[in-house]
Amino acid sequence: MLAVDLTGDSVKAKNGAMVAYEGEMTFKKRTGGGEGLRGMVTRRLTGEQMAVMEVKGHGTCYFADRASEINLVSLNGEKLYVESSNLLCTDSALRTGTSFTGLRGSSQGNGLFTTTVEGTGQAALVSAGTAVVLRVTPQTPLQVDPGAYIAHTGGLKQHFQAGVNFRALIGESGGESFQIRFEGDGLVYVQPSERNTIGGEV
Amino acid sequence: MNGPVIHDAWTLPVDDNINPYAFSVDLNGQWFLQKGKMVAYYGQIDFQGVGLGHLDHLIAHSFHSPLHAADWVVAEGHGKMVLADRAFDVNSYDLDDGNLSIRSGNLLAFQPSLSLKQSIVPGFLTLIGTGKFVAASNGPVVFMEPPIRVDPQALVGWADCPTPCHHYDHEYLRGFLGAVRSRTGIGGASGEEHQFEFVGAGTVLLQSTEEVVDEISVGETGGTGS
Repeated sequence: MLAVDLTGDSVKAKNGAMVAYEGEMTFKKRTGGGEGLRGMVTRRLTGEQMAVMEVKGHGTCYFADRASEINLVSLNGEKLYVESSNLLCTDSALRTGTSFTGLRGSSQGNGLFTTTVEGTGQAALVSAGTAVVLRVTPQTPLQVDPGAYIAHTGGLKQHFQAGVNFRALIGESGGESFQIRFEGDGLVYVQPSERNTIGGEV
Repeated sequence: MNGPVIHDAWTLPVDDNINPYAFSVDLNGQWFLQKGKMVAYYGQIDFQGVGLGHLDHLIAHSFHSPLHAADWVVAEGHGKMVLADRAFDVNSYDLDDGNLSIRSGNLLAFQPSLSLKQSIVPGFLTLIGTGKFVAASNGPVVFMEPPIRVDPQALVGWADCPTPCHHYDHEYLRGFLGAVRSRTGIGGASGEEHQFEFVGAGTVLLQSTEEVVDEISVGETGGTGS
């Protein structure tokens, strides 16, 4: 559960994520993720839809989502790429948007697009089990199971990596045939659980 | 508020837990893994299905469960590997020239110095030898000593003691009505008429819920573990 103290300022949160509050709060549905008309159209077109509300007031507001673990990420002008289903709450100072992920997105079973969060402030991610944060450096690229990936920050290049060989075709596959390979400098957030993906069946 | 701990290829623990739900293996050679339990890795690691190939010798030595061959892979290479299973608690255990039986769905990975066999109890696997293995449980694992009777769903595994037998609550079965109730559940059954009974010296591993970590049924005739 996440507790947010508000003193007249506001946060953006996943619709319906509030479980309790103390003090005076107003909840306002922000159509299209509060990104204006263009953002709304983009999200509608890309299917990376996010029902967001703006919470404003004085007091403490508590957020939770299906008893998942909550991980706080502090941003200092960086850009956070996160699956919209894993984003719980952001400071209102953070801008959200949509970006194209290509083949990686389709491998996660979460669509071809992902959500970006930019600016300075804190964002809260939800994950099944406490997320593991892994640093990627140019010397140590990281391979991640598409179903376990939740978010990343920094200048990372992603490749979709398939280890399919003839044995996979005869049913003796390695079971870990598809991975996302991250190269560059940055952080990757991984949950200790896997979503169902197309690749997971191979 | 402090941010989360950031791990990299060097600070990831060596064969230890990262958090209650994730385990890091320092791979230098080979490990057996159940399919789909690897969530991330650094370094050069290949995943090979259990089957014919250059791993023939290894499998001949360490893998004696054709029923499960399709669910296991061999990770080979150098690097750090993060294992996890549906946000269940994971833990590693060391076996020193011992034997341990475990529910097949709970076992995540083991070192090839251990030898994997099928237990004669359906749905369980037996590890024999010396080495480390990683297992998942729904909630923390509790260690108990025989003699003990345990609920089949809460049983994770047992080590060094004789194979368990079934125990039925005889008092409850006595008489016609009791038999009808226990067979049909009509009139209410406590659900605790049937246990696994352990005797002798050894250790019994229990999880703190009766929600079984999904397994692949192995020659079972309905029900889980019973």
